[in-house]
Amino acid sequence: MLSTLTSIFIATAGVQTAPPVATPADFWLPIGASVQAHNVDLMFNIINYICYFFFVVVLAMMVWFVIKYRAKPGTRIRTDGMTHHTVLELSWSVIPLLICIAIFFFGFTGYVDLITPPKNSFDVNVTAFKWGWQFKYPNGAQSDNLVVPSNRPVRLVMRSNDVLHCCFIPAFRVKKDIVPGRYSTLWFQCDIPTGIEEKNGYHLFCTEYCGTGHSNMNRRVMVLPQAEFDEWLVKQAQWLDEIPDDELYFKAGPKIYARCQQCHSLDGTVGLGPSWQGVWTRLTSPGGARFSDGKSYADIIGPGKEYATPEDYIRDSIYNPGKHLVATYGNVMPTFKGQLTDRGVDSVIGMMKHLDEFDAKGAWTKTLPPAAAKTETKSEQK
Amino acid sequence: MSSASVDHEVRVGHEGHADGHGHGSAEHEKYPFLAHHFETPAQQFDSAKLGMWLFLATEVLFFGALFVAYAVLRSRFPEVFSYGSHYLDTVMGGINTCVLILSSLTMALGVYFAQRGKRIALLICLWLTMAGAAGFLVIKYFEYSHKIHENLVWGPGFYIPPHDAMGEAESVALAHAPAPAPAVVPAPLNSAPSGVPMIGAHPAVDASVVKPASMGPLGLGAGAVNHASAVTHDIIPDQLPSAHLEDAKMPPNTHVFFAIYYAMTGLHGFHVIVGMVVIGMLIYRATRGDFGPNYFTPVDLVGLYWHVVDLVWIFLFPLFYLIH
Amino acid sequence: MTTIVTPRPELLDTSATKDNYLTYTRGFLSWALTLDHKRIGVMYMSAVLASFFVGGVFALLLRTELLTPGRTIVSADTYNQFFTLHGAIMVFLVIIPSIPAALGNFILPIMLGAKDVAFPKLNLFSFYLWIGGALFTLYSLAAGGFDTGWTFYTPYSTTTTTGGVIPVLTGVFILGFSSIFTGLNFIVTVHKLRPPGMTWFRMPLFLWALYATAIIQVLATPVLAITVCLLIVERTMNIGIFNPSMGGDPVLYQHFFWFYSHPAVYIMIVPAMGIISEIISVHAHRQIFGYRFIAFSSIAIAMFSFIVWGHHMFVSGQSGLMNTIFSLISFSVAIPSAVKTFNWTMTLYKGTISLTAPMMYGLSFIFLFTIGGLTGIHLATLNTDVHLHDTYFVVAHFHYVMMGSALIGMIGGLHHWWPKMTGRMYNEKAAIIACIIIFVGFNVTFFTQFMLGSQGMPRRYYDYQPEFQIYHVISTIGAYIMASGFFLCAACFVQSLLGGKKAPANPWGGRSLEWQCTSPPPHDNFSAPPTVGNCYDFSMLRWDEKEQGYVVDKELEAVAIAAEARGHS
Repeated sequence: MLSTLTSIFIATAGVQTAPPVATPADFWLPIGASVQAHNVDLMFNIINYICYFFFVVVLAMMVWFVIKYRAKPGTRIRTDGMTHHTVLELSWSVIPLLICIAIFFFGFTGYVDLITPPKNSFDVNVTAFKWGWQFKYPNGAQSDNLVVPSNRPVRLVMRSNDVLHCCFIPAFRVKKDIVPGRYSTLWFQCDIPTGIEEKNGYHLFCTEYCGTGHSNMNRRVMVLPQAEFDEWLVKQAQWLDEIPDDELYFKAGPKIYARCQQCHSLDGTVGLGPSWQGVWTRLTSPGGARFSDGKSYADIIGPGKEYATPEDYIRDSIYNPGKHLVATYGNVMPTFKGQLTDRGVDSVIGMMKHLDEFDAKGAWTKTLPPAAAKTETKSEQK
Repeated sequence: MSSASVDHEVRVGHEGHADGHGHGSAEHEKYPFLAHHFETPAQQFDSAKLGMWLFLATEVLFFGALFVAYAVLRSRFPEVFSYGSHYLDTVMGGINTCVLILSSLTMALGVYFAQRGKRIALLICLWLTMAGAAGFLVIKYFEYSHKIHENLVWGPGFYIPPHDAMGEAESVALAHAPAPAPAVVPAPLNSAPSGVPMIGAHPAVDASVVKPASMGPLGLGAGAVNHASAVTHDIIPDQLPSAHLEDAKMPPNTHVFFAIYYAMTGLHGFHVIVGMVVIGMLIYRATRGDFGPNYFTPVDLVGLYWHVVDLVWIFLFPLFYLIH
Repeated sequence: MTTIVTPRPELLDTSATKDNYLTYTRGFLSWALTLDHKRIGVMYMSAVLASFFVGGVFALLLRTELLTPGRTIVSADTYNQFFTLHGAIMVFLVIIPSIPAALGNFILPIMLGAKDVAFPKLNLFSFYLWIGGALFTLYSLAAGGFDTGWTFYTPYSTTTTTGGVIPVLTGVFILGFSSIFTGLNFIVTVHKLRPPGMTWFRMPLFLWALYATAIIQVLATPVLAITVCLLIVERTMNIGIFNPSMGGDPVLYQHFFWFYSHPAVYIMIVPAMGIISEIISVHAHRQIFGYRFIAFSSIAIAMFSFIVWGHHMFVSGQSGLMNTIFSLISFSVAIPSAVKTFNWTMTLYKGTISLTAPMMYGLSFIFLFTIGGLTGIHLATLNTDVHLHDTYFVVAHFHYVMMGSALIGMIGGLHHWWPKMTGRMYNEKAAIIACIIIFVGFNVTFFTQFMLGSQGMPRRYYDYQPEFQIYHVISTIGAYIMASGFFLCAACFVQSLLGGKKAPANPWGGRSLEWQCTSPPPHDNFSAPPTVGNCYDFSMLRWDEKEQGYVVDKELEAVAIAAEARGHS
């Protein structure tokens, strides 16, 4: 009988009956935007109705019995209740068992769909770190928010830089832990484009506790039609190269800084890392900040010393952050080697040198000279 | 509480009840060691024995988790385990196995003599068991110290030659090393740099496993190993007692074998020490003449414990020393 | 099964009121060094309730912080420490020892008809182990706290810079042994100290539940002990067994941890189920329905609990095959739980139900446990769990089971046996009002969290999306309501201690052995092993105007004894 059940279910589940429109959010579930969401929601609702049924039965019996058999003062003890009823007890053991087995099979087949990516999937490399995400695309483009093509299976190939993380996209009903030391994969297909606007994107959360910034590891997933996506991908890969050198610091700088701001403030606020406020003055003045080993900037920066110029020092601090630790700060910064290109580092250094042109959130406060204005494009993503 | 009940309490040891209550049933008057909440000595003995068996069940599970860890690691790195076992001294391990089995025999004989009230024979057996336990630990000490001298240790230290083998400069560098510094590993774009970099010809991570993407805050582990890589480069090979570092055939992650080896044999060694303490207490009480045909529960229980400690070693010995 | 207790004159020794276990000896040392299971039980209870207060304060701080997205009262790091402490205290210091060690220690030997547990010294030792574990947990705060979550997942727990991780792990290790020794004591007591006539199937269901719990305590806790040992060694000596960058496996840690911590869930809930079986039967004054099914379901839950741990790891990267197997087995736990729920409900049928405070807690339990149990189905089902895992849905589910069921069961049991333990009655009306407030507050707090979770709010989040705020506000209001209920409940108990009416030996008309001795019981419980009958036969009760409750009628009892004697001859 079980095999019949399974085969029936597999036959029905095999047909992807995903509606072309998102399932709207309801009392329980958020908007369901992936092809898998339909099955998960169906299962969730079936279980819900089973739960409602049993809950109402138990509760109704309980309330009814309590009202009917409530002892008023002076009531004689009833002794006519039965002590057991084997048929009844067996039936409420066996019936729930059968229901459970059925639910298991439906859940299992749904799960198999959920974890088996189709062959033609589009791969995105995902790196999770304390506390952020980086998404890398086959053409070398990188982004902080996930951008994917619609109407095509997407496979995330994920790894962690440090501790356990977990990628969760509620609207797609998918989730997977990211264990350091191995790749984890996750796939989904979304047929409902959102456009490139960040506020329209679906949420992406980290759901494996990873420390201070755990709840700030939320990003957005933007879904674009294939053609639009391809265009975005090309732009994204080149965005740093297209910016003239002297405009790097205010065009690329703030975008890159968005990934630094969790730990490094611009206004002197104490964070997990030293504030950038006045960093260039500190680096170039004698003395400067102290390291935890007692050395000062002047001891390591200068001609013939470990770093010939302050720029060398900043560059090495980004690539090998644990080498010299500014006193009282812990060794918590992940390396950006392989993530930030030389031009990226140039942008950061440029921004540090011109901090007076930025507000506390990293937005550039000056206006663009008319000649440069035309190079700015809307589709750039940080 | 009367002084009489305190006295009673001291004599009955484990099963006594300090709040000894004056329900002097015939059984309680006849057997001073019978605690007030038991009806008969048999009930008390059965309870103690069942309690001990349950405790031993927890011991088995305690070790069981480590055996599972062994199995998991072994299935992950079979080559490490067959390679690592060559560094263990089968002769010493074999002698230790014999010593423990003999001490189990003397312990069993001790129970036999305790039941028959033969105090001197019991004492001899207990002392012999004690000697066996001590002998085991002495041999284990030689094994450990030999391995530590050869730098066959757990963790990142496995890849750091001992201090005395280093040139002065390196030792100074080590002593004044800043907080763990990630090593620079040339990593192609889009591939994860390793948290534990290559050390000579012996990468510390399995190349078949995806290299962890971390160069960041991995804590002590990565840092220390990374640091090691910084200092091991200039060391002249023939000054090393760490012969294993020169062995080109050493598979990656060999330190895992020694980690689980020290964890399991160390925990077992701790149980041997506890065993010596309780056997010592038995010797004290046997000398005083506490045990006889009516009352030998503690001897019986310690005997059970000792057999389990023995049994654990019977599994450890082949798993580490014999299976190549 | 119409046997009833044959009262022996010495069991009903009324002079014992002068010499009960509280007044038997006096002075601090007479408590600190006591080997009396009742005093140890009372000490456990005080310590557990104090810990519950501390854990509850952390809960309120957490809920207050979550009133608004971003910072409300504390920083992210402090918040992380708060939820870790809340979890660790509530799990290791409160719920695990609450019923077995506190109530169980007091009730088990008396209910069984024994004078004490099998190993009184071991019992006292495990209490001091608990104290030691609690002190280490406290010390960890002084040492810099810990922000690992109560699950101590590696590699975060081995790399976090907070300094209290090793102390708290040591504390957990010690608490584990406290729990092991309590379980060991109970198993031996149930096996070896049953008096004549107390056959396995005459044991009250609370004893069956404690016995099943003890099996789990003895067989699961050692794995936790060695796991935290390995974690300590990993952190101090860096052996790398769980460290992925050294060839170790963090998922192995999760297997070890849940191999203990899933059974631990049943260490919490099974004894509460036992209490509910007692409460429902005694306060409905009716033979429990389906005694054997309930008894065996406790054992079944204990057995199944060992083979379902993997359902905590459906998205952790264990293989799909493992997930499938664990999902299938996990459903098996639903059956004994369902059996119990139906049997309790049927026990109400044709009963004579007194809506006393313990009964109100009993009914709350059935309500809350039904919700907690049924939502377990969502989480055992593979594809829905993928969506719900590590969201507030899970938080709500396990609070319904651990707090709504295990803790409510414990509080209900405390109300049930309070007259026996202290010799005082409490204000019934106020206690019932407290129960209702707690019940309402609980549902407002945690039912909201089901919606929060299924909408996609991850757990352990300091900051959250603005659209979740309304749920968080409602949940926090619920927490405040619940807290006020607990304060009223505590006030009832304090009032009872200070000026409560003297409790009769058997205020509810219970039939198990603890109601045969005085309130509070004498030092030695029973001067001779009592003979035992059917502890669920309430036919000899009659309404007593003076007591305003049901009491045992001597004549009816004599009839029952005669009937029993005929039945035996």
